[in-house]
Amino acid sequence: MTTDLRLQIEEVMIEESWLLDGNRFEDWLALMTDDIRYWAPVRENLGRDEEDFHQLHLLTHFDEDRMTMGLRVARLRTGFAHAEEPPSRRRHFVSNVKILDASSPESVQVASNFIVFRSRPGLEEHLFVGGRRDQWVHTEAGWRLRERMIIFDHDVIENITVFI
Amino acid sequence: MTDFASLVDLDRCTVSPRVFNDQDVYEVELEKIFTRTWLFVGHESQIPEPNDYLTTFMGAEPVLLTRDASGSIRVLLNSCRHRGMRVCRRDHGNAKLFNCPYHGWAYDTGGKLRGVPQLEESYYNELNRDEWGLIEIPRVESFRGLIFANFDAEGESLEEYLGDMAWYLDLIVNRSKNGMIAFPGCHRWRLGGNWKLAAEQFGGDNYHAGALHRSMVEIGLGTQGDFRGKNPWISDFEVKCGNGHGFINFDIDSGEAPPIQAAFFEQIRREAVETLTPEQAKLVLSVQVGTVFPNLSIISFIGFTSVRVWHPCGPKEIRVHSYGLVEHDAPPEVKEITRKMLGLTFSSSGIYEQDDGVAWGDIAEFQGGPVRRKYPFNYQMGRGHGKRMDDKPGLIHPPSTEIGVFGLYEKWREMMAR
Ligand code: FES
Ligand SMILES: [Fe+2]
Repeated sequence: MTTDLRLQIEEVMIEESWLLDGNRFEDWLALMTDDIRYWAPVRENLGRDEEDFHQLHLLTHFDEDRMTMGLRVARLRTGFAHAEEPPSRRRHFVSNVKILDASSPESVQVASNFIVFRSRPGLEEHLFVGGRRDQWVHTEAGWRLRERMIIFDHDVIENITVFI
Repeated sequence: MTDFASLVDLDRCTVSPRVFNDQDVYEVELEKIFTRTWLFVGHESQIPEPNDYLTTFMGAEPVLLTRDASGSIRVLLNSCRHRGMRVCRRDHGNAKLFNCPYHGWAYDTGGKLRGVPQLEESYYNELNRDEWGLIEIPRVESFRGLIFANFDAEGESLEEYLGDMAWYLDLIVNRSKNGMIAFPGCHRWRLGGNWKLAAEQFGGDNYHAGALHRSMVEIGLGTQGDFRGKNPWISDFEVKCGNGHGFINFDIDSGEAPPIQAAFFEQIRREAVETLTPEQAKLVLSVQVGTVFPNLSIISFIGFTSVRVWHPCGPKEIRVHSYGLVEHDAPPEVKEITRKMLGLTFSSSGIYEQDDGVAWGDIAEFQGGPVRRKYPFNYQMGRGHGKRMDDKPGLIHPPSTEIGVFGLYEKWREMMAR
């Protein structure tokens, strides 16, 4: 049962990667629920287990809802988003998918790891590496993403111009 | 030895590309600029209690901002006197002692050397601990919660140094009765580019918004074509503040805020009437952007405020440390709206800020060649057309102008030639 569930989730995550790397951002957005929260708290160098990603008002690299995700995508479509124009070459790798909580058949908590390679014209090549905590919900149309918390493993991160 | 003064032509208003690309220029900047100016190190709300600390940088030097056991704010070099390892490698916290990881010398938050392993057996008690405390930065002063430190023991006070810029900073940090606090955490990111290009942009480059940030205009969130704004000279203007500082005030309609935030804006406007002069109060909650020379910039925009330091990391790399500020009295919901807006717009992933990084990186990567470096960059926009006005300090000109931006290089030249 969990294996089957994990395969289903992995499949939709792989689909996400192909959509993102193929510049199909609107199709990727369609995999999100209307109440999506897509966010990445900043990292801090503190003692072991002292970092608290849920600390009240902790800064976030981004903390988006459906509307602001739409803005980010619309911007990329203008042809003038110079940080991504000409577009970067991106390659998403998603692995270590683990179902954390499947107690409800409609909604699962899933952990995964990612590496995203990015190369831009003339600029250095970069990796974005980290983990994700997702909530996927089952709808008539299939699995949809309701929340994604992205934990970057960088201290000083690069200019984040890509979706994870 | 390079004649640094010759790299900035005061009559023609030009600046040599070498100012942005050369390693020798950079090395001298670290000494002549970063050890002789007031550098921003943090906000008082980040170290509220005795023994609180924050680690950051002043130019090339790692420093500790602390509140010592007796409650005084101090800035200390984060470098052990024994072999120089950083005595603290965490971002912030509370500690009675910093224990150097290497051999264990222990310092208190006032910088005093308290513990030396084997002091008796190996040093024969001959080490005078009073001589070997952490190196203290001699001058530390605050401006409305913003803490600055200066390696130079002599010279202007912070207030004198800020000069006219203080009036403009007040539009943000003194617009409410109980002042501002910093959000927990720090946006830390790396950009290719020279630190001065970042500083000049925030200090008075309104000109780039329509081109570099055109994507924002296209999706309806950017400055429209009318660069002069609705009220040129009055509420749409740029200022050369002296000492290399610059400021932009732009009175754009920032659209409809959520009701709770709109109500809070009203509260700020009411409070500003009491905390500021009438001339200042009229400008509160415009789009405001400024640079305090050399490398502190501030941006305040639809309720969010970022103070960021463009830490120089060689001539072609910047490490940005950006802290978010918000009114102490803002309701929690407003703080959340503000935090999210900051991430969306001006941050490591900001939809404005992403593009800035690409411009500075491109210039750093491609413009250091022997041919291009012979031809200076043009900073002539608006020269000679600035005016002194009765209602506000500094040299004023409506957007766009490079009067303020070039002021940064005038100050740079003066300090580099010393
Ligand atoms: S370097 Fe700190 S104790 Fe030796
Ligand atoms: Fe910009």
